[in-house]
Amino acid sequence: MLKILYILKKEFLVLGRDIHSLAVLFIMPVAFILIMSLTMRDLFASHAVRQIKILVVNRDRGDPSRAFIAALEKLDTFAFHLMEAGSDLDLIRRKMFDSDIKFALVIEKGFSLLPKPDLSDQTTRRMTLLVNPTVNRQTYLILKNTLAANLAKTRLASLLKGRQDMLAYAGIDLDQIMQSTAGLIETRYVYKGRQRFKIPTAVQQSVPAWLVFSMFFVVIPLSNTFIAEKNYGTLLRLQSMNVSTGLLLVGRLLPFFIVNLIQVVLMILVGVFLVPLAGGDALTMGDSYAGLLLITTAVSFSSISLALLVAAVAKTTEHATTIGGVLNIILAAIGGIMIPKFVMPHFMQTLSVVSPMSWGLEGFLDIFLRNGNVLDVLPEFLLLFIFGVVMLGTTAVVIKKKMLL
Amino acid sequence: MIQIRHLFKSYGRQVVLDDINLSIEKGVITGLLGPNGAGKTTLVSILIGVVPADRGEILIAGRSLDENLGEIQTICSIVPQNLAIYPMLSARENLEYFGALQGLKGSNLKSSMAYCTEIASLQSFLDKRVGKFSGGMKRRLNLAIGLLNNPRILYLDEPTVGVDTQSRNYILETIKSINQEQETTIIYTSHYMEEIEQVSDTIAILDEGRLLLHAAKETLLQPQGSVTIRVNGINDMLRQSLGRIASVRVLDDGIQLQRDTRLRDNLIEILLLLKKQGVDVVALDSRDKTLEALFLDITRKRLRDAC
Repeated sequence: MLKILYILKKEFLVLGRDIHSLAVLFIMPVAFILIMSLTMRDLFASHAVRQIKILVVNRDRGDPSRAFIAALEKLDTFAFHLMEAGSDLDLIRRKMFDSDIKFALVIEKGFSLLPKPDLSDQTTRRMTLLVNPTVNRQTYLILKNTLAANLAKTRLASLLKGRQDMLAYAGIDLDQIMQSTAGLIETRYVYKGRQRFKIPTAVQQSVPAWLVFSMFFVVIPLSNTFIAEKNYGTLLRLQSMNVSTGLLLVGRLLPFFIVNLIQVVLMILVGVFLVPLAGGDALTMGDSYAGLLLITTAVSFSSISLALLVAAVAKTTEHATTIGGVLNIILAAIGGIMIPKFVMPHFMQTLSVVSPMSWGLEGFLDIFLRNGNVLDVLPEFLLLFIFGVVMLGTTAVVIKKKMLL
Repeated sequence: MIQIRHLFKSYGRQVVLDDINLSIEKGVITGLLGPNGAGKTTLVSILIGVVPADRGEILIAGRSLDENLGEIQTICSIVPQNLAIYPMLSARENLEYFGALQGLKGSNLKSSMAYCTEIASLQSFLDKRVGKFSGGMKRRLNLAIGLLNNPRILYLDEPTVGVDTQSRNYILETIKSINQEQETTIIYTSHYMEEIEQVSDTIAILDEGRLLLHAAKETLLQPQGSVTIRVNGINDMLRQSLGRIASVRVLDDGIQLQRDTRLRDNLIEILLLLKKQGVDVVALDSRDKTLEALFLDITRKRLRDAC
């Protein structure tokens, strides 16, 4: 027991004085979480409900134009900002770029005459939509179709106004006709696999993703220490001191498990407190601390086991850093760490199931995003555990073959 | 103290140790010599119990190494050729870590650390990061860690590589004093022949896995060969006179005397004879057998790690 304490003390002293390893394990993921949570907000927002800002200039004084705007304002999708009726094109353009608003809708004089337009005059335009050319085409089409639908509704309402008696005689309820047709459409989501799929926010994706990434980066300090001990005779000295192989292995696993636990706590604190301070959303944690500990243990076990294998295979610290770094980046790229899986093409999503980082990420998303519990993270736990056992077994074979321990 | 009988070790088809038989007495410093790849490191690795032998028997302090490995390891220690220390830790932290892993604790650990620090002359640098030490200081710390458990057998693998003359001398003096004060049995491997000559009591030479020689230093390095007196010319009368003296060979330009028990008497007689005959002595060649010459004679000059 005393020996374990001295091993822990030594590992933490060495790690605490290794500025490069500290940067990789703690500063790198914090920076990634902050940067990605803020820069990817728009990407994630396009998958969530996020209002599109539109400037509105109403040069028409009639009731139909006011009704038209009122109808639009009821839609959650858009946020309208009214400008003075006298605003000219130049002022509107400046306002658009100064306020980073992609659209401006100008309702021209005579809009209220729309129910009785001169249909033979094809050049007549009662509305002008100003669009920033960088705008996403899909967003533009959604807006244009929404405007067209509401315009048709406004025209219908104006046409039928004052003809309620006639409609009542025909047994038609005008209010019923004018009700939103959206309620007539029922939306049902269909899932390929799990039923609890939910799109995360930027911070909900970034925290677990870069947390898993950084946990796997224990490969750098762990393999460097192991290889230095191997090459500089320290391992030989320890073995000659009647220090058991088991103690040497525990001396590798335990300190880095504690490092992984510190990483989890730190990254959660960053997500909950630091990201909101920087202007992003706050991380929601879910309720299952037992589930969180379970998935943390599994990710830690698999990452340390993989690191031990890299350390056993590599001959030099440079070799280990290259193998470990490249391996981690590949596992992260295909595992949905760098790019969220739900925006990946189908074949890439299929490929992601081979990455242990993907299992770890899904486990953390189960807790943070889907409010899952121990049972929910059990599949990922088992996958990671089996992966860790396979890596440890392979490490034992390599070590025996190379007679390292 | 150490008895090795019919020891064999091979890696695949390569035989690394081939029927080694060696006996080392208690309190003796044995210089272990051999070219690169001779099997020195493997032999030491087997003796400290980190590499298993294929065949053979090793007795340490009268007990079988195979059957009492853990116990034997507590009375042995190795100072590896590489600096087996942590550069990110201070000297104190290094000593404390290795001491604790050897089972030392409390006052035993503290007193042992103090003793080893004094031996290595590092008292003033205990809390300095080892990465900032000079080469000599690192070597001394490497040695100090090897002494923490007060070993009865100490294996030193090139303990002075890359240090200045003062540090080298200090380390060699320390090794000798440890040996004399505590009767520590030491196996010392080095490529520096003069070091081996300086510290060893016995010398063992390994080559291509075989033990070629093991004997006391005095026996191996006693003066051998001949002494030659170079002269200007030898006339017939002189040649006849010299021919009567045993262990003397007359050359064209000199007289060669065998190094044997008659050397001193022969040398005096011949020098008087030359003086009497008025023959001038040009030079006196007296070549002792050095350890390096002996090593090269035994192991040959062929490179072992060339194509």
